[in-house]
Amino acid sequence: MSTLLAHGTYPRAILHIDGDAFFASCEQSRDPALRGKPVITGAERDIASSMSYEAKALGITRAMRLHEIRKICPDVIVLPSDYETYSLLSKRFFDIVRRFTPDVEEYGIDECFADITGWQRPLRTNYHMMAERIQEDLRRELGFTFSIGLASTKVLAKAGSKWKKPYGLTAIPNREIPTYLAELPVGNVWGIGPRTTDTLVRLGIRTALDLARSDDARLDPFLSKPFKEIRSELRGIPALPFLAGNRSAHASVQKMKTFTPASNDPRFVFAQLAKNIESACMRARQYGLEAGKMLILLRTQTFEHQAVEIHLTCPTNFAHELLTVAKSSFDTLFSPGTFYRATMVTLLDLRTPDRQPDLFGASLKIEGFRRIYESIDAVRAKYGKHTIHFGPSFDAHHSPRHIGSRGDVPERMRHLIKGESIRRHLNIPMFVGEVD
Amino acid sequence: MLIVICSLLTIMSEIPFENIRSFFDEKKRMPTYREIRDDILHTASMKQTKRFVDRLVEDGLIGRDRTGKLLPTEGFFGVRRLGYVEAGFPSPAEEELLDTMTLDEWLIGNREATFMLEVKGESMRDAGIRPGDTVLVERGREPKDGDIVIAEVDHKWTMKYYKKDRQGVSLIPANPAFKIIRPKEELRIEAIVTAVIRKY
Repeated sequence: MSTLLAHGTYPRAILHIDGDAFFASCEQSRDPALRGKPVITGAERDIASSMSYEAKALGITRAMRLHEIRKICPDVIVLPSDYETYSLLSKRFFDIVRRFTPDVEEYGIDECFADITGWQRPLRTNYHMMAERIQEDLRRELGFTFSIGLASTKVLAKAGSKWKKPYGLTAIPNREIPTYLAELPVGNVWGIGPRTTDTLVRLGIRTALDLARSDDARLDPFLSKPFKEIRSELRGIPALPFLAGNRSAHASVQKMKTFTPASNDPRFVFAQLAKNIESACMRARQYGLEAGKMLILLRTQTFEHQAVEIHLTCPTNFAHELLTVAKSSFDTLFSPGTFYRATMVTLLDLRTPDRQPDLFGASLKIEGFRRIYESIDAVRAKYGKHTIHFGPSFDAHHSPRHIGSRGDVPERMRHLIKGESIRRHLNIPMFVGEVD
Repeated sequence: MLIVICSLLTIMSEIPFENIRSFFDEKKRMPTYREIRDDILHTASMKQTKRFVDRLVEDGLIGRDRTGKLLPTEGFFGVRRLGYVEAGFPSPAEEELLDTMTLDEWLIGNREATFMLEVKGESMRDAGIRPGDTVLVERGREPKDGDIVIAEVDHKWTMKYYKKDRQGVSLIPANPAFKIIRPKEELRIEAIVTAVIRKY
């Protein structure tokens, strides 16, 4: 398989559908005053987390600091993130795609894979037209655009959706793979990071086509399994599993919160971390999953990161257990005198509980804790997360996260409809702006 | 009013009979006479118990084997319970509720395309839409004559009646104090109003 790639068109038909500037588009689609203007979201984090195409055109890039952005473009409209609205729209995005096929892999808040293999006949159409219809339904009903890649593997579909943006539809049938891959630098292939790119370039592999056509025997010693899978996918032969359902939401649970002003008070910073741990555990319990690993990360004021990964001898989703292990790691991570601005926890290696009866009564104790957490979760779901929490997170639960102008609240939260409370809102996104 | 009563059951015996069924579901066997007396009818009288069982046997809901022990019959499992009748008043029967819809379903047609908007101006006053009202709007539908639509005009939302004739599209307010809008260029109709909600 040194020169030949797969033949034909689509032995399988995979779409990758990717929101165009998703958060900024959510904002522009509901407020006509923002249309045609540079808009960024992320005011509360002091960085751009999403930029409208008008903002991108001015050279604003992701994670750029707000004060840098204002230097380039004083007129830019900076909005606080309204994750509630983005999540509602994200769910609608997946639901619309599911009208066409049940096999949808939610890969992130703004992207998904859809396996439409075999649906062209019952729906009396072809794959390309199905992609067009999905794209059109999304635009008409949600009010903003998505880019789509159509190919026979996930890696190729992903390359397709990036090919032309915004509102692009790029189909890569198997027989045309070489044309596309010849123009695709190997480092831009989904899943190939900078380190692997360096290795590959040193081996004379510059484009995705070079990788697809590479001699297996020559390259294999340098490639680990995931990269062999990517190579196979580039050749049009599926190697990655298609995981219908919202896998991404479950593969790991991550909670990160920024706070201002930055703090060098270990108690306060740990309180922030503790709050994240409690929230992440609650989410894991909702999914019925336990973490085998936990990653904790502290971000300093100068955007440096200190992180540690903790392997748990016994998988858990109990906050009190994770808080105990997190505390000792935190003490080694935290350096006095450094100011921190954010903490993050990621629960990894999630799995369904596998409990065996044991001799020493531990399973009884676990069952007891399970019930306690069930009650805690019920109370928190009904009355809000601030009602019950552990001692260490007190400071984080009972002080504003952002002091000063950065305590920006999204428009939707500032203006409640009669009958809504701060904690609970109608689950329908709102248009904002003036109406006459 | 439609009163749903199971054909075979009398008001008196229904609940104790249900209890026999739950007993069976739980224990996978039929109760003894004594168990019926003590745990189901909660009485001291074996005579009353026997009368109760006799009636169920008569109705074909349970049977007896040769030794007189109770057996489930086809009727025992086959009775479709459509609702309880208590003190002569029918309680809501599940069967009937299947044909009802929630307020959400009634108000919202295409869920994925539905958004909310709070009304701020007086321009649709005579259509009964007032400032502070919440309207539900649906995106992506072709507007028809007479629909109330949300359009984007000069970077603002406007809510008006939609009218299309030989001269083109016009947006008509439901308030004489406002002017009719006749867009010269292409007009962007963003959504169609499907409901108005006013909560007091």
